[in-house]
Amino acid sequence: MTMSLRRSLLIIAVGWLALITLLHAAINLHAFHPKSAAIEQKKFRIGFLPVTCHLTCPVTDFINKQLTGDNIFEPVRFNGWPELKEAYLSGYTPATFILAPMAMALREQGVPIKIVYLGHRDGSAVMVHKDSHIYRMEDLRGKRIAVPNRFSNQRLLVFRALKQAGMTIDDIELVEMPPPDMPAALYAKAVDAISSGEPFMGQTELDGYGRVLWLTKDVWPNFISCVLAVHEEMIKTKRDTVQRLVDGIAKSGKWIDKSMAHRMETAQFVSKFYYNQNPRLLTFVLTKPPDRVKYTNLTLRKPDFEEIEQLGRESGILNGSAHFEDYTDASFVTDESAVQPYAWEPNEQRAH
Amino acid sequence: MKVLSSPMLGNQTNSAPIDVSPQPVIAASARKSAPWLRNPDSRLWKIVRPVGMVALFLTAWGLAVRLSHSALFPTPGNVVRGIAELIEKGLLLKYIIASLFRVSWGFTLAVVIGVPLGLVLGWYSRAFQAFNPLIQIFRPISPIAWIPVAILWFGVSDAAPIFLIFLASVFPITVSAIAAVQNMQLVYLRAAQNFGLSTGELFRQVIFRACLPQIITGIRIALGVAWLVVVAAEMIAVNSGLGYLIIDARNAGKRYDLVVAGMVMIGLIGLILDLLVRQLEKFDEVRWGYSR
Repeated sequence: MTMSLRRSLLIIAVGWLALITLLHAAINLHAFHPKSAAIEQKKFRIGFLPVTCHLTCPVTDFINKQLTGDNIFEPVRFNGWPELKEAYLSGYTPATFILAPMAMALREQGVPIKIVYLGHRDGSAVMVHKDSHIYRMEDLRGKRIAVPNRFSNQRLLVFRALKQAGMTIDDIELVEMPPPDMPAALYAKAVDAISSGEPFMGQTELDGYGRVLWLTKDVWPNFISCVLAVHEEMIKTKRDTVQRLVDGIAKSGKWIDKSMAHRMETAQFVSKFYYNQNPRLLTFVLTKPPDRVKYTNLTLRKPDFEEIEQLGRESGILNGSAHFEDYTDASFVTDESAVQPYAWEPNEQRAH
Repeated sequence: MKVLSSPMLGNQTNSAPIDVSPQPVIAASARKSAPWLRNPDSRLWKIVRPVGMVALFLTAWGLAVRLSHSALFPTPGNVVRGIAELIEKGLLLKYIIASLFRVSWGFTLAVVIGVPLGLVLGWYSRAFQAFNPLIQIFRPISPIAWIPVAILWFGVSDAAPIFLIFLASVFPITVSAIAAVQNMQLVYLRAAQNFGLSTGELFRQVIFRACLPQIITGIRIALGVAWLVVVAAEMIAVNSGLGYLIIDARNAGKRYDLVVAGMVMIGLIGLILDLLVRQLEKFDEVRWGYSR
């Protein structure tokens, strides 16, 4: 009996570890598909979040796979800004979709990051509870507003709206909150207003308790929140890969905006294969109204970033030590009108 | 011994005699009707009590959601349908395997490193003096605080959550092993020294065996902790696991049924893990430590 415990424990432990490792490798890592493991090695990873600001990332991936059966990059979905940023810093994702002011602040802190293209224009909102008596910015005096991150453009948006209304930051209370938690917080009236990228704003409207105070397109036309950024080293050593990436993003942006049918189709495949959300949600935010978020006119323009720089300095998140030429490389797509949308139609895919 | 007073230990060895002794008395008086109904310690009641309590809890939960007219909080029925949906999509098994994989490795590493470390630190008091403050400083730091470090060191591979689970479980194991050695009865050591055992033999033959019951207690607590932090560990962008299920469901809009489904699955598997570790107490080697 003396050896029985140790021996059986050891056998059980080793057996269990072997079993669970094999199962995990087979079911989750697909280690026994000879094809996938080899190809995944070569691809570089791009970080993104399940928000409409990053929509061109999954769309490029999906259309490329439909057209050629493969893609040049591997999209990696994150669940929050800190993790996404840390994965970029660790070199795990050499390219990433990221908040514009966050990329600018990283550059100020000496991180070799270059913005190469915009992710979208507009596509944000400030929502209040439908029972509330908040109808103008002035009504938010003394109220609590949730923004996704101190580096989010939504926070700058609030600063800009405050300025327009002749108010200051001391007139409101700003709290940071992950966007997925915002709808529930507004529903429970834990905050008076929420602001983040879609689809979390549209969700409160769709579920019947949120009301739009304003959409970004009404307050800050051509608003930018997220951008595509890559590691400086990658631009130097693999310029053609970055070029192919930016071309793909530009083409899919044009493809999304080409027709309503494309937007509807986008909502379907992105919800199903990338965001794991109810397609109703993306359909809603991509179509009601269609210009709620836009994916054309995405080349980098200096005045846009200068405005963000100025607001960033005023709100204390940027110190002004990095400028447009430092944190961008606008050379990949200089003339967007020359970009053609992907030549892919959803119906072709069904015929296959 | 100290182990006896620990409320964490289900003392199965003691419950058996209680079962048997009152039976003749009650059985005699209730032989005509159903004896197992009258006997409050019969097998039936042992099942009915916990099941009844769970049913009561579920009913109260369902009623509370209905009475509060919450549009977001799911009822037990919603959650069951959520779990059914996960099974249908083949996700539930995938996620359970992924989480068990990470917890198994993180926990095994913690045992392999924590137990020897604890025994050595418990035995050599000068080493204990040197290391103890460091251990006490690291011990209260939540795995959530380690997430950025884990991502910077391990990227977003499986190694990152395994590292977090290891960190959470290694300290309870080490600390309980240290305490076990320090509380060991000197008579074992004197005897061992009289036999002239080498240091290696002393650790393997005497110290480890004498401390095993208390180490097992530490391991059992640590397994609970390892499973507890699975949600936090999977907040890193891995794309599978029960913790990931919860975080993913928060991203998916109004899918709080899946959030609670993830919670329920974590709870049920935690229950099974605990029942399994309790089986260890049935081994003679462990049980002798509890004897009065």
